[in-house]
Formats: sequence, C-alpha cells, structure tokens
Amino acid sequence: MEENVLEVSKLQKNFGKFKALKKITFEIKKGEVFGFIGPNGAGKSTTIRILLGILRASGGQAKIFGQDVWREAVGVHKKLAYVPGDVYLWPNLSGGEIIDLFLKLNQQKHTVKTDELIKQFELDPTKKARTYSKGNRQKVALIAAFSTDAAFYIFDEPTSGLDPLMEEVFQRNVLQLKQQGKSILLSSHILSEVEKMCDRIGIIRDGQIIETGTLAEMRHLTRTMITVVTKLPLGQVAQLPGVHHFKQELSAQNENRATFAVDSEQIGSVMAQLATYEIKTLQSTPPTLEDLFLRYYQKKEEDRHGE
Amino acid sequence: MENSRFKQTGYLLLFYLRRDWLLIVGWLIAIVGLMGGAAAKFDNLYGTHKAITAIATTLKTPAMVALFGPFTAKEPYTAAIIYASEMVVFMGLFFAIMNIYFAVKNTRAEEDNGTLELIRAHAVGQLSPLTATVLELILINLIVGILAAGSLEFAQMTGANSLGSWLFGLALAVFGMLFGTLALLMAQLASNARGATSLSYLVLGLFFIARMLTDVKNPDYTWFTVFGLIEKLAVYSSNDWLPVDYMLFLTIVFGAVALIMNTHRDVTSGLLPSRPGRKTASFFLANPFSLVLRLERTSLVIWLCSSFVLGISYGSIFGNIGNLIKTNPAIAKLMGTAAVEAGNRNLILNFAATLSVIFAVIATIPAQITLLKINNDEQRGWLEQVHARSVSRFKLFFSYVIVALFYQAACLFLALLGMGLAGVNTNDVVSLGRFFRAFAGYLPILLVISGITTLCVALLPRWQKIVWILPIYGLFSMYFGNLLNLPQWAKRVTPYGWVNRVPLEAIHWGNVLLFLCLALGLWLLSYLLYASRDLVEN
Repeated sequence: MEENVLEVSKLQKNFGKFKALKKITFEIKKGEVFGFIGPNGAGKSTTIRILLGILRASGGQAKIFGQDVWREAVGVHKKLAYVPGDVYLWPNLSGGEIIDLFLKLNQQKHTVKTDELIKQFELDPTKKARTYSKGNRQKVALIAAFSTDAAFYIFDEPTSGLDPLMEEVFQRNVLQLKQQGKSILLSSHILSEVEKMCDRIGIIRDGQIIETGTLAEMRHLTRTMITVVTKLPLGQVAQLPGVHHFKQELSAQNENRATFAVDSEQIGSVMAQLATYEIKTLQSTPPTLEDLFLRYYQKKEEDRHGE
Repeated sequence: MENSRFKQTGYLLLFYLRRDWLLIVGWLIAIVGLMGGAAAKFDNLYGTHKAITAIATTLKTPAMVALFGPFTAKEPYTAAIIYASEMVVFMGLFFAIMNIYFAVKNTRAEEDNGTLELIRAHAVGQLSPLTATVLELILINLIVGILAAGSLEFAQMTGANSLGSWLFGLALAVFGMLFGTLALLMAQLASNARGATSLSYLVLGLFFIARMLTDVKNPDYTWFTVFGLIEKLAVYSSNDWLPVDYMLFLTIVFGAVALIMNTHRDVTSGLLPSRPGRKTASFFLANPFSLVLRLERTSLVIWLCSSFVLGISYGSIFGNIGNLIKTNPAIAKLMGTAAVEAGNRNLILNFAATLSVIFAVIATIPAQITLLKINNDEQRGWLEQVHARSVSRFKLFFSYVIVALFYQAACLFLALLGMGLAGVNTNDVVSLGRFFRAFAGYLPILLVISGITTLCVALLPRWQKIVWILPIYGLFSMYFGNLLNLPQWAKRVTPYGWVNRVPLEAIHWGNVLLFLCLALGLWLLSYLLYASRDLVEN
C-alpha cells in the first residue's frame, strides 16, 4: 500500500494583496523523489517555508507524515531534514560547530557518517563561517542534512553554489537516500538536475502547479537541441515528424552541418534516420526549463485553437 | 587621473547622502530641537539672580561635576553660562553617538552585507568609499553644528553672545568628527560591524569615565581624556578656541590612520587577527538557549566588566561627594557632627539614586540589542535552519528573552556592586546593602521595558527600532528632568520614572509585584503574537 509522506491541498499564501500561492495541490509518496521545478519567484521557496512552519498558510492544508505542518511543526521536524537555497550561518561559529549544533537540535549525534561526509564534500570544519564562500556554506547545510537520520528530506535549490564535482557528490548522496527508501522533495530551476534523480515532477509557475507527473509523461513537452555534422547531405531530415526550426549551413570544409530541435518523444526515429547519413560529430543540448515552458504554453494555445 | 585612488568619491558622496537623508534629518531635528528648545527655556528657568546663584552652587557640588563636568565660569553668572555648562557633556555624548552610528553604518556594515564589494568592482578608487564617508560625516556635522549655533543665536539667552554660540555649535561639530574618525579607525580593526560598534563605544566609555574621574579629582588632567576637551571651551565666558584646535588635530590623526589602515587590509577582513574555530561543537552548544549564549559570549563579558568598572568609577568619588565639610564648610559648621553625618549620608544616597537610573538605562541597552536580534538574526537567514529542526518557536523566543533578562539583571547588579564596594571604601556612612535597594527597585521596571520591547518585536518587526526611544528618552528625562524643570508627567511618561528614588527611599514592594506581573503578561502576549505570525524573511 502506498502512503503519502506529504499532502498539500489547495494551499494558499497571500502577502498583502499579492497572491504568492493560488490553491496548489500535490503529494509525495513514500520512497519517492519529487522534483519541484519552476522559474525564480514562482513560489517554490514560499511553499517550502510553509511546509516548514516558517510561514503561515492563508488557506488550504499541508500535512507531512499526516501531521499539520503549522500546528505540529516540532513533531514533524523530528523526522525531517532541510537545506535552504541561500544558506546563512553565524559568522563567528566554525562549520564544525554548526554541523554539530544542527544535529543536536534534532537530538542526533555527530557520527562516522558525518566525518565521512565532511571528507566527501572537502570542507574544512575549523574555519569560521565568516570566511566560507556560498558553496562552502551550502556544504555545511548539506553535510548536516545528509548525516541526519530523517524520513523526509527537503532540498531547496541545493546546488546553486556548488562546483560540478560537488554536484556529483550531492547527487550520489541523494541516490543513496533513495535506495534507503527515504522521501525527498528537490526544488530546482535546473531541469537536467531534476531529470537525473526524480521519479515525479511538479511544475510551478506564478503560484500555480501547472503540471505534475513522471518525466516520461512530460516528454511530449520537451525538445532536445541537436547540432550535427554528417558526411552525406542531410536530405529529408527537415521533413521528419518532430523536427523543428531546421537550419542548414555550409561550413568552411563544405561539410553538411545542421541545427534543429527534436520533440523528445520522436528522438529515436530521428536518430535512426541521421545515422544513415554517416554522422561525423553530434552535439545534443538537453531541453531547458524555458523550452519546457515555451512548449507548454504553445501547446495550450494550439489546444485552444483546435477546439 | 584614470587610476586615482579617490575616483568617483563625489558621486559616492551624493549617493550616500541620498540614501541617508531621512536619517540625517531625524538626527538633525533631535539635536537642534534639543539644543534650541532647552535654550529657549533657560531665561524662564534662570531669570532671577537668586535662581542662578542657587543652580551655580548645585553645579559646583562634586555629584553634579561628575554628571555635567566642572563649573568653571567666573561671576557674574548668566542663564547662558548655566546653559553651556549643563548642556556641553550631554550634547557631546549625543554627537559622538551620531557619528559612531553613521561611520560604522557606511563602512563596516556595507562590507558585511556585500554592497561594498559591488561598489568596488566598478570604476571606483580604492579609498573612495571611505573618503566619501568622511566627507559625508563632515557635511552632517557641519550642518547640525551650524544649525545648532543658529538655534542658540535665535534663542537669545541672557548673557549669550554670537562668538559663544558659534563656538558651541562648531566645537560640537569638530567633536563629532573626532569620534566619527575614531569609529572609522575601529572599523578597520574589527572584522564586522558589531565588533566595530562595540569597540567604538568601549573607547567612548573609557574616555567618558576618565573625564568623570579627572573632573572630580583634578580637572587639569581632563585635558588628556579626549572627551574632556569639550568641557574646556568656557562657552559664553572666555570662549576658548584652543580645545577645538586639539580636537581638529586628533581628528586628522585618526582619519589619516584609518585611511592608511584601509589601504593595508583586504575587503571584509579586519586587522585584528581571527583565530581558527573548533572542529566540533562543545558539549555545551546543544540547544537554542546555549546557542544564543554562545553567540553573545564575548559581548556578555564586555558588558558585565564595563558595568562593574562604571560602578566602581562612580563609587570611588563618593568620598568627595559625601563631604559637606569640604564642599560647603559654612553650612557644615552650623550643623552638629550628627547632622553633618546625616547630611553626608543624604548627599551620597541622593547621588546614588541618580546613578541607579543611569545604570538601569545602561543595563537596558544590551538587553534591547539581544531582543531585537529575534528578528534581526531571522532577517540574516541564520535561524531558517533552526526552525526546520525540531525546535519550537517557544524555545527559540524565550532563549533570547532569558539571555536578555540575564543581561539586565547582571549589568544592573554589577554596576551597583561596583558602586557599593568602591563607595563603602571611600565613605563610612552608608552600608553596602543599602545600595541594593536600587536593584529591587529597578529590576522589575527593566523587566517591563523588555516586555514592551518583545511586544514590538512580535507586533512591529519592521519598526522595532522605535523601542530605542525608551532608553534615550529615559536618559534625557533623568539627566535634564530637574534642571529643565520638566513637568511631572514628562518624567512619568518613561517607565524609568515609575520607580521612586531608591536607594534613598525605601523599596515600594507593591509596585515591584505589580511590575513583575505586568512584565510576565507582556512576555506571554508577545510570545502568542510571535508564534502566530510569519517569520521575517530575508
């Protein structure tokens, strides 16, 4: 039987007249990694802050482990770990002190796992937080969260200050949690990050959830950018279903070079066709969040015209 | 001069002025209003020869010298001369505080929040931000000084003259610059804004205590106490400009040193060394309460020691104050030995009662700072992760409140203890225990004041700074209440005025109980409001 770790229904938040959240509804199942994506200012952090009991909802309901996030905050937080997008730390405490404090605030201890994580993330825990860069402050919060034994983890744009190597370490640890059957809410505006790790995705924009589902279910919304150089002329590629904005150019060596976008669901057949032209180089750029939105709204327009 | 170190200074100055203009106007109204308002009242207060002679006698007593500086003018006394000697120390203090505020705000605080980095990344000279701040301080001081002088001219007190009014206004401006550049220097030494502010106030406090001690013991030494320079002006009597020259000299020295230091350090670092921290947290650091205590550790030590030293300094002059035979031999001769002793005792206790209010106001300051941090730390984003842990708002809120209460109680206690210990040493008519009547008298009212502060923290997070009115007005009404003949209600409007003159009078236990209940009610109400609202977001 699947049970829900998080249940949000018709959640609303108003700041004065401004409606930051307009009745959003979604849920996260036990053992699921849920990607929460949307552009800056869409309401991701506001939602998370309500889930943490820092902000009070103006309407609707949010429950974690079946408990109300506002009234039973302390109980909920016992089994929860959180990493904010912008980590601010007390400048005159050292990183090591802060990690331990965060653990103790949840009645947990500095373990072998904590030391291991400090090593993995290459953090110097003796330095005062004043001297840490944004990435290092983020590491402090990540180490504290990963070494907390919790049932539900919330990461709010956790890699915005990390270098690619550390992003890798982060992703490895998230996958480990996933294998242990933990539930995770990962908020991000980087689609590729979410793609790698998440089972399901919720897209938020202007305070509204516009789509939830698995990535496969959303394939119809995404396009991949392809730049290809082939030995033989490219011929009929432009007419293939799912290919858009086809542009051919002649390069200096008289090569056949083209750039175009492919609907993610058609990529297999397009690739098969390309292979017959003897590919020299091929570059594919994953779809960005903006592409996804553009497509989403285009599709809505088309649907409306179709009616 | 493409690569001048001072490039764009002028533009930055305009930018700073535009950003700070409302604050500048606020300080300007407060200072000029206070000086001009008091001046307009003085002819009424001290219109008769009798009133002037009486106040002059009072101002010559050691207790008054300790508060206002020595009364050195020669007869005939005028209302203007009385005004000058009553106002000069307090106005000097006000100018010093204003300058420390602007100096730290525009240098170290800008560095802390990262805006300086943005500015320096543009085509701006290395020394431009600091120089622009110096220029801004010069402008602020000049404007306030000139308007203050103008208000004195306008008030036309009996015995006032233009030379004296301008000397007063301009000397205050230079005195302000002196402490402004001093604060700029401290901003180079410390590695953050809070550190720079505390260092500046520490030095100001040391100078102030030194001037008080030298004034009472031997005024010739006051020249060396820096703060004491402002007392040597002899405004409206001999109008002496020499102290202003000394102040200018010191200002230039401090400013130059600050500029040199600024070129020798990196942005966001201080010249004082910072040690590496612990690898793991100590056993002690484990909950919100110990967290707040740990964060306050250094400043707690400084405040407690300063309070004790302040108490000792004031207590050490009790021997000079409680000595009628020395201060007024004619009266002493008329009274019997027993009566002289009773008189001495009365003098000391009266002075101790005045000092107790000062100590209470001072003990309020660190407590307010701590309570306002409930929102300030939140705004800095430091508490977001604490809230996400299994820590209730109740625990967090009362962790700050309890530390604040400890500040109040400990500062008040140590100041009184210092005063008592030093006082008992220099006189033998008042026992140590008697001074602690002030503790029982003032602690409950301090609790009420912290209750009002928490209410502001919970209810008006954006405007919480207005609670600073409490200690500022408290100090003002205490310092000037009697001298300006303020009406009774004006003294009663501040909670400090609700306490009777302990330790001279007996403790009013009924009030103590009432205030305790009031404080408790205010805290609980504040907590309920705090627990049901959104937290302040950064």
